[in-house]
Amino acid sequence: MIFKIEDVTVYFPYDNIYPEQYEYMVELKRTLDAKGHCLLEMPTGTGKTIALLSLITSYRLSRPDSPIKLVYCTRTVHEMEKTLAELKVLHDYQVLHLGTQAKILAIGLSSRKNLCVNTKVLAAENRDSVDAACRKRTASWVRALSTEKPNIELCDYFENYEKAAENALLPPGVYTLEDLRAFGNNRGWCPYFLARHMVQFANVIVYSYQYLLDPKVAGIISKELQKESVVVFDEAHNIDNVCIEALSVSVRRVTLEGANRNLNKMKHEIDRFKATDAGRLRAEYNRLVEGLALRGDLSGGDQWLANPALPHDILKEAVPGNIRRAEHFVHVLRRLLQYLGVRLDTENVEKESPVSFVSSLNSQAGIEQKTLKFCYDRLQSLMLTLEITDTDEFLPIQTVCDFATLVGTYARGFSIIIEPYDERMPHIPDPILQLSCHDASLAIKPVFDRFQSVVITSGTLSPIDLYPRLLSFTPVVSRSFKMSMTRDCICPMVLTRGSDQLPVSTKFDMRSDPGVVRNYGKLLVEMVSIVPDGVVCFFVSYSYMDGIIATWNETGILKEIVQQKLVFIETQDVVETTLALDNYRRACDCGRGAVFFSVARGKVAEGIDFDRHYGRVVVMYGVPFQYTLSKILLARLEYLRDTFQIKEGDFLTFDALRQAAQCVGRVIRSKADYGMMIFADKRYSRHDKRSKLPGWILSHLRDAHLNLSTDMAIHNAREFLRKMAQPYDKTGTMGRKTLLTQEDLEKMAETGVQDMAY
Amino acid sequence: MAGEQVEKRVKYKSSVKDPGTPGFLRIKEGMLLFVPNDPKSDSKLKVQTQNITQKFTKEGSNKPPWLNLTIKQLLGRSHIFEFENYPDMHACRDFITALGKSDEEPKKAAVLTSTEQLSIKELEIRFKLLRENSELQRLHKQFVESKVLTEDEFWATRKKLLGKDSIRKSKQQLGLKSMMVSGIKPSTDGRTNRVTFNLTPEIIFQIFAEKPAVRQAFINYVPSKMTEKDFWTKYFRAEYLYSTKNTAVAAAEAAEDEELAVFLKPDEILARETRQKIRRVDPTLDMEADEGDDYSHLMDHGIQRDGTMDVVEPQNDQFKRSLLQDLNRHAAVVLEGRSIDVDSEDTRIVAEALTRVKQVSKGDGETTKDANQERLERMSRVAGMEDLQAPQNFPLAPLSIKDPRDYFESQQGNVVNVPGVAKGLKRNVHEAYGLLKESIVEIRATGLSDPLIKPEVSFEVFSSLTRTISTAKNIIGKNPRECFLDRLPKSTKDEVLHHWTSIQELPRHFWSSYPITTPYLHTKVGKLKDAMSNTYSKLDAMKESVQSDLRHQVSLLVRPMQQALDAAFQHYEADLQRRTAKSSGGERPNGYV
Repeated sequence: MIFKIEDVTVYFPYDNIYPEQYEYMVELKRTLDAKGHCLLEMPTGTGKTIALLSLITSYRLSRPDSPIKLVYCTRTVHEMEKTLAELKVLHDYQVLHLGTQAKILAIGLSSRKNLCVNTKVLAAENRDSVDAACRKRTASWVRALSTEKPNIELCDYFENYEKAAENALLPPGVYTLEDLRAFGNNRGWCPYFLARHMVQFANVIVYSYQYLLDPKVAGIISKELQKESVVVFDEAHNIDNVCIEALSVSVRRVTLEGANRNLNKMKHEIDRFKATDAGRLRAEYNRLVEGLALRGDLSGGDQWLANPALPHDILKEAVPGNIRRAEHFVHVLRRLLQYLGVRLDTENVEKESPVSFVSSLNSQAGIEQKTLKFCYDRLQSLMLTLEITDTDEFLPIQTVCDFATLVGTYARGFSIIIEPYDERMPHIPDPILQLSCHDASLAIKPVFDRFQSVVITSGTLSPIDLYPRLLSFTPVVSRSFKMSMTRDCICPMVLTRGSDQLPVSTKFDMRSDPGVVRNYGKLLVEMVSIVPDGVVCFFVSYSYMDGIIATWNETGILKEIVQQKLVFIETQDVVETTLALDNYRRACDCGRGAVFFSVARGKVAEGIDFDRHYGRVVVMYGVPFQYTLSKILLARLEYLRDTFQIKEGDFLTFDALRQAAQCVGRVIRSKADYGMMIFADKRYSRHDKRSKLPGWILSHLRDAHLNLSTDMAIHNAREFLRKMAQPYDKTGTMGRKTLLTQEDLEKMAETGVQDMAY
Repeated sequence: MAGEQVEKRVKYKSSVKDPGTPGFLRIKEGMLLFVPNDPKSDSKLKVQTQNITQKFTKEGSNKPPWLNLTIKQLLGRSHIFEFENYPDMHACRDFITALGKSDEEPKKAAVLTSTEQLSIKELEIRFKLLRENSELQRLHKQFVESKVLTEDEFWATRKKLLGKDSIRKSKQQLGLKSMMVSGIKPSTDGRTNRVTFNLTPEIIFQIFAEKPAVRQAFINYVPSKMTEKDFWTKYFRAEYLYSTKNTAVAAAEAAEDEELAVFLKPDEILARETRQKIRRVDPTLDMEADEGDDYSHLMDHGIQRDGTMDVVEPQNDQFKRSLLQDLNRHAAVVLEGRSIDVDSEDTRIVAEALTRVKQVSKGDGETTKDANQERLERMSRVAGMEDLQAPQNFPLAPLSIKDPRDYFESQQGNVVNVPGVAKGLKRNVHEAYGLLKESIVEIRATGLSDPLIKPEVSFEVFSSLTRTISTAKNIIGKNPRECFLDRLPKSTKDEVLHHWTSIQELPRHFWSSYPITTPYLHTKVGKLKDAMSNTYSKLDAMKESVQSDLRHQVSLLVRPMQQALDAAFQHYEADLQRRTAKSSGGERPNGYV
């Protein structure tokens, strides 16, 4: 359908639209007009993504003189693929109606591991070795050398791409990763470098958060994006965690050992160069005297990860004298490693601020703060000079230099925590020195500063006023949308007791109680026998899931479950989990029905949808609190209390409930879909916990469903499923329109939006 | 064929000399339509396409392309259509010919009167059906052999069974049981430490399918290196070592015994398969790609110990295999189903067949283009939001229920098991019926709307129906799941069921014979009536013969059957009376015998 929002003609690829999608677009348009940032919460299953994409692309079409660029950030690669698939539908529709002028270039961007088409490079096992294998074939000095020695192996795709030079362009269209690979294969061009090159020309870029938030990656990929861009963070409820993770580093014993080996190798290389090619080292020295001018003029193959600190925090000045010489720098690093080794040798947990850490480092190892700050850039320069290509082997020393640079750059918002062993496994000594960031606003600040509009959106952003404080920005629009339901298609329930009326909970003192485990099992046994197709269960942690499944297996509960449905489980091995998910979907597709066991805060909970028949009921076993004795978490809570006056308990509940909401919220995808959500823990019946759930779930949580036992829940489930199986009027009943047609919109445009019945 | 149509620009002439009316000729299944360009013209035409004979002018002759259609039903009136060119005409001609054929086919089948004309193939199908279905066989014996029905009459009501679909359906492969193999518990004699495992071909198949390494080992070792019994003993020894979770012992034993080590090592064939499968996985859930993109968690970057990621004992120990992995693997194999068609007791043949199948599927893996295409199509289909766009019509797969009775009874069990039915649903049957009636009246008054029936109404009707049926059935039973029929003596139960099927059969033929237009039907109805009264008396006899405590229930069961028969008798009598009255009146309407 085609309609107007104020002065913008919106092209929306479906015949109907939800009223909340329309409103969402209106708010979004106001944000774009105001060139400010916004915060929008809209329930899952109301088509956020397509509303966003269609408004922003239409907005671009309506302002041909100042075209905006859309930078769409997703949390995961599979979400990126989903977004691009939706964009394809939209693009086809716009081209159909507007012709070639609506054509855009949209690309998904990912790492070499996901884009490379060179089979020899792909044979490498993990991401880092793929990166290294690629550099071995594409680094400028390797290619220069190959003119002399023809037996050096290069990458044909990269060579072809280089040969095509300026002509290597992607024709307009929407490219998923698969499409990019196919295109690269066809032309014989390297899809990875092509995609990176096309970033500056593309109208829509879809990539993951860290390409914008993590300075290490953003410094390379995103540094040339223009200000007239709209940045969207989708599924952004965890954005604060992504931000602090981007600036956190830790050092272990293995890191130090690896770093020492790296230094030995570098020393060896330096000596070799001194004997054969002393001029090269001298040239580097001269360059460093003049300042770090090397960044920016590297060819694609030579680039590394960028500086871990944020661009605006790096001063443009010359590298301090004591690390200009290669061998001096190696000495400094050795002293640093030694000092870190001593600090790791502790028996107690230590907590320190970066300032005091730096000053004790200065007094004991004689390394100044300024020197620390330049460690990363100096390392990069040295590795380029020494022509090191197997970067994956040099990860430990990079980690140490990242740490040094971060600790030298930031004085506040961070703390250093040294733990001799993991709290939960005190018998295994595993000392770790962690530099953890507490201030989520640090990493995202350059994004807010640089781009004209930043849109933060998700299904769960409650309480919505907390996010501007955590990320320290002022949104021009901040709204939380409700969902207008055609029928009660979600059915949240709080289960507090088993059939035997004993309370169930994952509270620490109760979780291993055999009665609780049995009651949890019985609940699932009953559910799988009455619910069609897919059933999803979330547990609070891997270890808990592991334990409870083992117990169910021993007591025969698992056997009863398996009789009704196939069982698939998320494990810590991503490959296995991916295959399990794929099989799970197939089992649901073919009507066999399946159960999926997963973990809140796990990878599956983060981004996989269990919509339609892939999830008719989601059972959330327990409240997914963070491990509250963790030192890092305590430090963060303390920081939040001191800076934002957020109470510890409040933050923990907020965090647990947003995870729970995230898990159960994935059951519906549209108003035609339906699903149940079972919160199986007695603590959910308490108001302080429950009230933190997003409004759209709360509004469907009836008082009668707040304190159920297993048999009552089963009864409700039966009724609900039977009701959902009836035909219904899709456009909404009793004067409440839940699905709008073109005419409805036109009528609304005349009378004003206010008349819309919510 | 259904839904296809041809539309061409033509001139319609009622005779050869007619100058013709320009317009469109549209031919659909069963219908031929001519719409003139000039709406005022009265030469609109609409005829059935049955029994059309067609004549046409030949290409190359100097005549324009004419098609002359003669419709038999309309006393041979002919219609001439002049086409613009020959290809148009040929298209129409071919289409009509095709229509004629498809119309004729079912007719032919119905016209056949003697078994001689049946092909051997059809006879085979009939025999096969009778062989497979004992109930059908009994019916056939009872009615056909006693000459109540002829062979063809009997089969005429079962055309569906004879169709091609049913043949294919019977070939449907049995799936695998979902029970885990690790669930097989050994039996002990209680005195010694000896345990005994019972291996069935089913279990062996599952082990081979789930653990390719074991399969490979079997092919390699048996019988050249060890006997089959030794092989399985070793296998279960290894399983036992797993279950103790004592990796040190497992490692030690593996070091000593090379063959045992095969079972304890991680499965390499499986790992290879996994690597292959991961490339074909749906990109919208490919979490492996995600890990490849995650630079925030580069070695030691990101937050390690804040309690969000929890620690589990390291998994990389090669002698450790987790229950979770086993469960995933098992479910995957069950989902794949029985991929081989070998029904052999010989373990080796099974193992080799499985290996072959795997290799073939690997070969398929090379040509992933189709799979890729399908994956992309699926992705774009799923990307859309279902209720914002017009519905997509997916092809339906026929539901195959072995015995409908089982299904029905299991549903009733569900309803009865609901603990709080009484308080949940306040309406009784009459109210539900009233609701239904009301909505029927409303539909009469206002016409059909979407949805046809209000969801609340249909829900009420449905639930109260199921409930009354089940309560009637279960009130006497102590166990709600126990069916009343099960309490009858076996002979009586069989008899009841048999009468039930024959009462389904006979009235069907009886009613389909009305109105009686031929003497043949007349005699048929007579025969049927006799057979039915025979059954009726048998039912009475049965009612008498059952024990007194069951008699009430049996009569409840029998009552609807007798009612059905009564209705048939009534109709028969009434019809007979009317006909005698008419024949005595003298004037016979055309068509009546």
